[in-house]
Amino acid sequence: MFARLSIAVSALIIAAISSASAETVTLTAYSGIFQEHYTKAVIEPFMKKYPDITVQFYGMPNSAQMLGTLRAQKSSPQIDVAILDVSVAKAGTDEGLFDKVDESVSANVKDLYPNAHAEGVAGVGVTFDNLVIIYNTDQVKAAPTSWDALWDKQYEGKVIIQAAPDIQGTTFTIISNKLAGGGDYKTDVSAGIAKIGELAPGVQTWDPKPDVYAPIANGQAALGIGWNARAQIYSETSGGKLGVALPEEGSGFQINTINLVKNAPAGDAAKKFIDYALSPEAQAAFTSEMFYAPTNSKTVIAQDALKRTAADDMDKMIDIDWLAVAKVRDGITEQWRRRIIPLSR
Amino acid sequence: MTTATFDMPVGAQKPSSTAGIAVALLLPIALVNAIGFILPVFNLARMSFNEALPGGGIAEAFTAANWTGLLQDSFYIELILNSIMVSLGITFATLLASYPIALYLHRASGAWRTFLTVLVISPLLTSAVVRTYGWIALLAEQGPVANVIAAMGFQPPRMMFNTTGVVIGLTEILMPYMILSLMAGFGRLDPKVEEAARTLGATPFRTFWRVILPLTLPGIALGCLLCFVLAISSFITLKLMGGGRVFLLATEIYDQAIVTLNWPLAATLSMLVLIIFGAALAVYSRVLRMIEG
Repeated sequence: MFARLSIAVSALIIAAISSASAETVTLTAYSGIFQEHYTKAVIEPFMKKYPDITVQFYGMPNSAQMLGTLRAQKSSPQIDVAILDVSVAKAGTDEGLFDKVDESVSANVKDLYPNAHAEGVAGVGVTFDNLVIIYNTDQVKAAPTSWDALWDKQYEGKVIIQAAPDIQGTTFTIISNKLAGGGDYKTDVSAGIAKIGELAPGVQTWDPKPDVYAPIANGQAALGIGWNARAQIYSETSGGKLGVALPEEGSGFQINTINLVKNAPAGDAAKKFIDYALSPEAQAAFTSEMFYAPTNSKTVIAQDALKRTAADDMDKMIDIDWLAVAKVRDGITEQWRRRIIPLSR
Repeated sequence: MTTATFDMPVGAQKPSSTAGIAVALLLPIALVNAIGFILPVFNLARMSFNEALPGGGIAEAFTAANWTGLLQDSFYIELILNSIMVSLGITFATLLASYPIALYLHRASGAWRTFLTVLVISPLLTSAVVRTYGWIALLAEQGPVANVIAAMGFQPPRMMFNTTGVVIGLTEILMPYMILSLMAGFGRLDPKVEEAARTLGATPFRTFWRVILPLTLPGIALGCLLCFVLAISSFITLKLMGGGRVFLLATEIYDQAIVTLNWPLAATLSMLVLIIFGAALAVYSRVLRMIEG
């Protein structure tokens, strides 16, 4: 017993010493399949390229939790780099949690698409994703080509939508507003709200668990909305039970930004990691691995992977200004609760 | 619980030294409570007076805007009333379902009683998440319950992703707590009293209504308090079975804290739950005094 304990203790001490001698960058981003694929496509090649830097992935389920953790650690940060949603990154920037990521941090910053820069956000875009229709291939025989499929009476009671305040619901509001012929989403989304209200009675759940993908894959629901990258992965892991369709009317983007934590303990190693994450090499690897569209314009991607992102349909995308949306988001959520969800009771 | 008095062994009553020991014994838990509970509650109270910026930022401030906004908003007033009503409904349903079981357990004896008690407690060994998923499978659209109702020739109602599902799930999950509290409060129920009532000519119903029920009221009060508090603060079952349609305090706090990042509002709602707890406790002690009367 004692022998075993002392072996364990010495192993811990050795581990502690060796990690102290090499530099460690602690990255926080989404846990689950994002962590799995990001580690494989970006972190492992990075550590191969820079053998004296270790990257630790500290996964958290959502951006809000990352922000909460960063807030709590403000006086002595334990995290060096954070990948989170652009609107949450704005809140973090406003609270002084991040240092600016510019060309002094990474030369790749100048090659990023204009959408990857958001005014008043310290970090820059590292992945683009877009909203898609997801469907159960047993119940929906032909791939939907239009968002209108969700309103099809045939699937009543079989539609699942993640409601606002989740950004899936918010993005869906903006798309529906466009479909309904509404005006500028920054000032008025009432046309979109009314359109979703027509859909409401046929919605099975506004809060699918554990996420929107599982109930579709296992047939509990027939149709729903989800993010392209995750949906592409689940369409593979579900053996084709989950189908993904980018409707012809286009869609809206979600942007994940990479941020440098102020007073990050890793210092230059953290900047090296950000530089690598934004490089065409890492961007291409992650796109082929998980089908997030790249933010670096110099990225060269294989045609088959590119087809599974929205990169070819850029002209159809609604350019969503997430920082403007952040200001009206409470209002949108309020309308969901008062004018949409009560219609489904 | 109510009549539990702690009898000190006579030899140990040396007031000065026992006071010292009592302080020494209480200090660790007092410290843990101060750091782990009192301090966070004060933080929460402070947070509820901060100002929420659009987009999730927080500005240090001292404003009552969160409180006044909350109490003037019809959505939140409905949400608060709804939370209280649904929790009361769950408490009542739990009481109805648990009372006969507790009474039977109270009367059982020996190994049979031990076996049954273990059976009652055993659900607590499984996490509420697992049990909720069990209910989801049972109550689903094509699930066993719906099939039985359909086989009897009725149109099965929607039992999932609405208040019905939440009430059914939580009632089952809270039953062990209710049964244990009821049994703890059944101490005054002496079989001889029941026998006396019956020999004196009371019908079984009359015996129950005039003798058994009044004697078990302390247990009922305790069980109801516990289940109400657990129901109004329960989160997982509500989140999994509510389908985003059932807006109650616990899920709203989650949404505000985790999704919209409005920590000041989330803190205000949390303080409100604490106030409701306080009110429930006050009602409980009031009821208890009436029973003891």
